[in-house]
Amino acid sequence: MKLTRREFLRRWGAFAGAWVGLSHLGEPVLAFLRSRSIRWPWYRSEEVRVTYNYCDMCMWRCGMRVYTVNGRVVKVEGNPKDPKSRGRLCGRGQAAVAHLYDPDRLRKPLIRTGERGTWSFREASWEEALDWAAEALARLRDQYGPESVAWFAHTTGDFWFGDYLPLAFGSPNVGKPATGLCLTPREIAAQLTFGRGLGGHEPVDWENTRYIVLIGNHIGENAHNTVMQDFVRALASGAKLVVVDPRYSTAAMKAHRWLPIKPGTDTALLLAWMHVLITEGLYDREYIEKYTVGFERLVEHIQPFTPEWAASITEIPAEVIREVAREMAAHRPRAVVPPGRHVVWYGNDTQRMRALFILNVLLGNVGRPGGFYIPRAPALDPYPHPPFPVEVAAGGCGAATAGIRIPDTPGHPPRADGVGTKFATGPVVIQELIEPMITGQPYPIRGLVVYGVNLFHSIPNVPRTIEALKRLEFALAIDVLPQEHLAWADIILPEATFLERYDELWVASHRTPYIALREPAVEPMPDTRPGWWIARELGMRLGLADYFAWSDIEEYLNTRLMSVGLSLDRLREEGGIFTWSGKPYLEDYGEGEAPFPTPSGKIEIYSEALARAGFDPLPTYEPVEDPPPGYFRLLYGRHPLHTFGKTQNNPWLAEVYPENEVWINEEAAAALGLKTGDRVLLENQDGVRSGPVRVRATPRIRKDAVYLVHGFGHRGSRLSRAEGRGASDNMLITRYRLDPISGGAGMRVNFVRVIREV
Amino acid sequence: MAQLAMLIDLSRCLGCQACVIACKAGRELLPGERWIEIREVVVGRFPDLRGAFVPHRCFHCAEAACVQVCPTGALYKRDGFTMVDFGRCSGCGYCAEVCPFHVPRIVDGRVSKCATCLDLIQAGQEPWCVQTCPAGALQCGPREEILAEAQARAVALRERYPNAQVYGETQMGGLGVILVLTEPPEVLGLPPRPQPLPITVWKGGIQPLSLGAIFLSALTSGIAFFIARRRHLEEKNGAFARSGKAQASHHPNRKE
Amino acid sequence: MAFRTTRWVLRYRPSQRLVHWVHAIAFFVLLLTGLALIWPPLSFLAAGGLSRLLHRAAAVVFLLTPVLYALLDFGGLRDLVRDSFTYTREDLEWLKGFPGYFLGRTSHLPPQGRINAGQKIHHALTILSYFTISGSGLILWLGKGSLGPTGLLIATSIHDLSMAIMAVLTVGHIYFTFVYDALPAMTTGYVTEEYARMEHPLWLASLPSEPPYVIEVREAIPETPEEHIAPLEKEAAG
Repeated sequence: MKLTRREFLRRWGAFAGAWVGLSHLGEPVLAFLRSRSIRWPWYRSEEVRVTYNYCDMCMWRCGMRVYTVNGRVVKVEGNPKDPKSRGRLCGRGQAAVAHLYDPDRLRKPLIRTGERGTWSFREASWEEALDWAAEALARLRDQYGPESVAWFAHTTGDFWFGDYLPLAFGSPNVGKPATGLCLTPREIAAQLTFGRGLGGHEPVDWENTRYIVLIGNHIGENAHNTVMQDFVRALASGAKLVVVDPRYSTAAMKAHRWLPIKPGTDTALLLAWMHVLITEGLYDREYIEKYTVGFERLVEHIQPFTPEWAASITEIPAEVIREVAREMAAHRPRAVVPPGRHVVWYGNDTQRMRALFILNVLLGNVGRPGGFYIPRAPALDPYPHPPFPVEVAAGGCGAATAGIRIPDTPGHPPRADGVGTKFATGPVVIQELIEPMITGQPYPIRGLVVYGVNLFHSIPNVPRTIEALKRLEFALAIDVLPQEHLAWADIILPEATFLERYDELWVASHRTPYIALREPAVEPMPDTRPGWWIARELGMRLGLADYFAWSDIEEYLNTRLMSVGLSLDRLREEGGIFTWSGKPYLEDYGEGEAPFPTPSGKIEIYSEALARAGFDPLPTYEPVEDPPPGYFRLLYGRHPLHTFGKTQNNPWLAEVYPENEVWINEEAAAALGLKTGDRVLLENQDGVRSGPVRVRATPRIRKDAVYLVHGFGHRGSRLSRAEGRGASDNMLITRYRLDPISGGAGMRVNFVRVIREV
Repeated sequence: MAQLAMLIDLSRCLGCQACVIACKAGRELLPGERWIEIREVVVGRFPDLRGAFVPHRCFHCAEAACVQVCPTGALYKRDGFTMVDFGRCSGCGYCAEVCPFHVPRIVDGRVSKCATCLDLIQAGQEPWCVQTCPAGALQCGPREEILAEAQARAVALRERYPNAQVYGETQMGGLGVILVLTEPPEVLGLPPRPQPLPITVWKGGIQPLSLGAIFLSALTSGIAFFIARRRHLEEKNGAFARSGKAQASHHPNRKE
Repeated sequence: MAFRTTRWVLRYRPSQRLVHWVHAIAFFVLLLTGLALIWPPLSFLAAGGLSRLLHRAAAVVFLLTPVLYALLDFGGLRDLVRDSFTYTREDLEWLKGFPGYFLGRTSHLPPQGRINAGQKIHHALTILSYFTISGSGLILWLGKGSLGPTGLLIATSIHDLSMAIMAVLTVGHIYFTFVYDALPAMTTGYVTEEYARMEHPLWLASLPSEPPYVIEVREAIPETPEEHIAPLEKEAAG
């Protein structure tokens, strides 16, 4: 018995010992599992390398700090020194890392082997692809002249293929979507009125404004970082907000008043507001006298445009129009009607923008706190090069002021886009370069170089674009992702992303003039190359070595920086950004300095230039066509996580917002027997269809319009996440009204009907 | 460290979802995994509409049901936040069931919810979502200050949003994410008074009772074994010795 | 060398033993992996989700044992269920004498058939707990993500209570096995005739006294008795 008990105790003791041991064993097991399941946070590593960049996820160019650990970019953050990002980034910027590591990226130069449009390519060496491309371009240049090659360029890296190589090559036909498909009417209107364009960063003095009126301006959905920051801060400090929009937009959610205007009637509303300000004597008399010309003609011109007249057109009550005008006046000059972006709506857009500017002028806010500040740009010299055979005419998002010519300026280069005949003035408009490829008028365009522009998601009338692509003798595409139009190229060159390359400096026209650095955080993916390198290699092969006299990009950048006493190292020490002080307000300008470099030296309410060119010298309202029965007007806009057609494949962004929906007023949808989630096809007035796409039945839109987020509905691409998701608004935009002044393509003139998918 | 909290001001949020992606990037979340979602809420009839963007993310309840229910201690409270020790998580998903806000998810066999950038805060930085928010709608700091700020903001917003109010002061013992709402919580899809669980019945009652019963029975059996075994052998050997003769006398009904 | 002849009685057929051990192994895996979620010192076993996987694998086996039993030996299953829920006056008598039985004595008990009242209750509770633990377990498994707090609490409470009942029953099961040397019943399938006479005399009487029901085994008697049995035997005899 005793023995047994002793034996039992011995065994129990061993068991208990094992148990204690086992529970101690637990900790290493846990530690092992932890090490397997959760990585050490990257930011605690001692090897975080910081490089500087400006963001390419949209065109806004926020300064960023790029964090790299062990040769891998892990995170980007806003550069606190950057006047645009101020240390913050939007969701798209944050997703730059996912763009860099998108598995769908182009990895090899490709040369076409089969029919255009069929994705028949073979891989080639850079040497072969570049030789072939340069030979084809040289042949066209020698046979038909350099103007026979059109160059389409976009993204923040478009300097090399939009503003440099084509000019050295000698082609005036350089198109950027940022002009005729976006900003040109606004820039021309500003040029005519103030003697200067606004530039890519709208100079609204948000921080001092007390009253904001947005017209078709989708802040929040349009996620321009700085604008979101300034807008919210203005509202938080008590500014009142009026939003004019057929759609209850994000901005409308924040508004004190939402005016659901009938689409296409904005100019009538602007004229009525001017009418109230003038007839009730609410405008800034002193400002008008000191800084403007032509006001007396406006007083006369504005008489018929009463709020009652506008109410019947816009479907906004006359009393509301009056109240808003009076509130604006009560807050002037700290009241502002910001100009917005993408102003190509109805083909009368230069006049509408003129009306908007003149309304602001009546509030006396241009060059005054709470209205518009006056931006300035640093003056860097270009890297020395021989003069270009053609003049810069591309314009663009970041440099919209460049190359804008008012109608009476002589000496247009021979452009193929119909300037001087189809429309009066302005930078090259990209959509008008399509017809010369098909019709040969005014002269044939036989070659095309496309850099970073998705032809099928930016240029209206896709069937015509395809027709043009079929007829080209040579098409070269430089891109990062296998977008659908690349199938039509003869040669595809895979570019490194902006996080993997140096690029031209960003020289910003801003409240505080500054320059920003783009430098590589990591080596380019194997067999991809930076844009500057591709441009230079092509240039050398085209006999343009004089234009590429620099040995490498660092020498190029250092030479430019030297002209303002800087260097690459110094710019890095400064945190990737260098700023100068600006002169934002009229009071910063002394006698003899001209803040408004118009011919009269003043703000031109009445435009002599327009009068001479045969246009209305003062803005008038032009009615637009209503949708036929059974059709809705097609409106389109943006989602804060997507930029144009270029981010739908981004792994992170596609995860959060993978496809667009068609917004239909809930009552209109019910009348069609549709509810949220139903899949439908959209068919436009020309019988072109897009979709299928899901319905979003919502009270947030008028009954006469439907709305799509732009950039979705990729069809025929090699984008694994974006292909086939949602509907393309651009596919449905088969017609546009050309703005006769600026050449802007008014695209809100398309109507669609909704077909239930069977 | 003092009790910390975050502030989210819905009057400022533009729904741009920069926080969603910044969090995903900064915390290296897996494909499909997100710790923040932004829900769009619009109520009313055209054209009288009201709307807001409502964050759907861990609100860091003081009396966190998930922490109470977590069997392994993978969820725990620190400095006012609900932390996650992913290495300890078994993926049982109880937290997902009990969260009054339906926040935790199971991703890759483990819990997925905001694990708090407390290490960043301790290093003098802000959480990734707060750092990047272009609208400046997010803040992080000592809870008392955050609460005072939230209350001041709600008062200031009354002119524009008559229903402006603070959410999270008292819910679930006080949230670690204080929201400034522009509409009443029920309009925005938030439970006005989320109820803590009667979890003590389970955790404090049934589980200890069960474990106790098992241990007690094991202990009793362990002790009784020696007695019973000895007595059994006595009986067996006795019976063996008596060759079964006496057996019948033990019980009246016993038969051979 | 001396020899001794013992008579052995067939108590469990091979299929029954197989089902028993499959069930037992599944049960212990379930118990251990389940306790990892209840008892903090074991929680490290749960980290990473391995225990969850094992729990589910074992749960499938556990759930299917009745099916296995029915397939291999339907009569056995039928008898088990019938016997577990059939009680007589003798059973009541037996239960009155349970404390004595618990402490190692059987002679005061009314003679029992194949299954005594204690085993009946054990089986009955095991069968009932099988349904509650499986039901709540399946709800927890298949309803994951849509139970809600109340559902989770009810299901886990039932699961935990069922587990406690089964675990306590198992402790008793093992206890009696070792007190009364019943282990061979589930290893070889046979018990000594002596055991059968002491525990289940009615059942023994009902069996034909021939193979395979009763067999005789001749075994060598060790030269020196086993060290801790010998004193016991001496003690008991003395």
